[in-house]
Amino acid sequence: METKEILPKMPKSWNPASKPHKFCPGCGHGLVLKALGQVIDELNIQDRVVFGCDIGCSLLSWDFFNVDTVQTHHGRTTPVMVGIKRANPDLITIAYMGDGGGYAIGSQHLVNAANRNDIITAILVNNTVYAMTGGQMAPTTMPGQKTETTPYGRDIKEAGYPMLGPEMVAAIAHEGAYVARGSIAKFRQLKTFIKKAIENQMAGRGFSFIEALSTCPTNWRTNAEKTWDFVENIMPKYFPIGEYKVPGGKEE
Amino acid sequence: MVQKDPEYLKKAISVDVHTGKATFTIFPGLCKGCGLCREKCPERALDWSHKLGVYGTPTVSPNPELCKACRICEQVCPDCAITIRRKDKEEE
Ligand SMILES: Cc1ncc(C[n+]2csc(CCOP(=O)(O)OP(=O)(O)O)c2C)c(N)n1
Ligand code: SF4
Ligand code: SF4
Ligand code: SF4
Ligand SMILES: [Mg+2]
Repeated sequence: METKEILPKMPKSWNPASKPHKFCPGCGHGLVLKALGQVIDELNIQDRVVFGCDIGCSLLSWDFFNVDTVQTHHGRTTPVMVGIKRANPDLITIAYMGDGGGYAIGSQHLVNAANRNDIITAILVNNTVYAMTGGQMAPTTMPGQKTETTPYGRDIKEAGYPMLGPEMVAAIAHEGAYVARGSIAKFRQLKTFIKKAIENQMAGRGFSFIEALSTCPTNWRTNAEKTWDFVENIMPKYFPIGEYKVPGGKEE
Repeated sequence: MVQKDPEYLKKAISVDVHTGKATFTIFPGLCKGCGLCREKCPERALDWSHKLGVYGTPTVSPNPELCKACRICEQVCPDCAITIRRKDKEEE
């Protein structure tokens, strides 16, 4: 049975001592952070990265990486990372947040950072709910989608429309910004988007924003098959995957 | 770093697959039994195992006849609980 020692293929930038991580079984946060970890390794920037996580399930990543990490208040990760970047532009700052944190309570920060063209990378995990607090409706809950607070499905007349983040950020962002929506169901592509977003920051070009479609089997109450179906087939109908703004303008 | 020997390294279950050209290893101390890997296996090679994972739920084990060592399960596992080692391409 034993040949050479076989080890788990965790990214080098992961903190092995904090694994298994604290996310639920099948949680997409683990896959977004796996893609990010591989990018940090490939760009060889572990000693330059400052990782900021929000309140929400993203906070469960406070000891996820062996990089300098700060856990902020709900919605405030973007301005904290902007501040760190302004104080020390040599650092590579990554703001990691949920859809509630980024599009509800923290939307003003997202809008202003995008508009100022702050040289940071923001990664927002869209799981269509306020996951940590028990699966309430979020700005990203889709029309008709059932959640803890929309038991009959989200009614647009009552609750308004969901937020299309990358579309909004791309509309207000300036030349030099990078904006994309990826999905954990397309892991390689998501990783490419994250890599481009961090390289864009390293090149000092502008604000870089990635939304990642992700899973929350706990609050969706889905088994593995339905979890994949939701993220792979249902979510992209409302949240199209792709690049929304690239410097020079060659979106894929 | 604080810890030298994480608990999950103490147990690894390895199976020769793909006519002996590769090894499938599961680390039960990392596997949360979510089943994402099983759904994505193009060969339908993964079954639930009697070995239990970190939360006391079944882990997965491959059918050595069916597994082609394609690595999809390794990629989709959010917990890095699966390692595929191909003996032809020795990686790091
Ligand atoms: C200022 C403030 N308001 C509200 C809360 C309660 N709260 C904690 S997590 C959360 C929402 C989390 O949802 P999201 O940002 O989508 O992250 P997820 O858990 O889904 O990854 C809320 C409203 C809080 N902690 N602080
Ligand atoms: S509640 Fe949902 S988002 Fe939070 S850790 Fe669990 S699966 Fe992930
Ligand atoms: S390596 Fe490929 S064929 Fe083998 S169990 Fe994993 S997904 Fe299935
Ligand atoms: S190996 Fe990974 S993907 Fe498969 S059931 Fe275990 S935790 Fe889930
Ligand atoms: Mg959320």
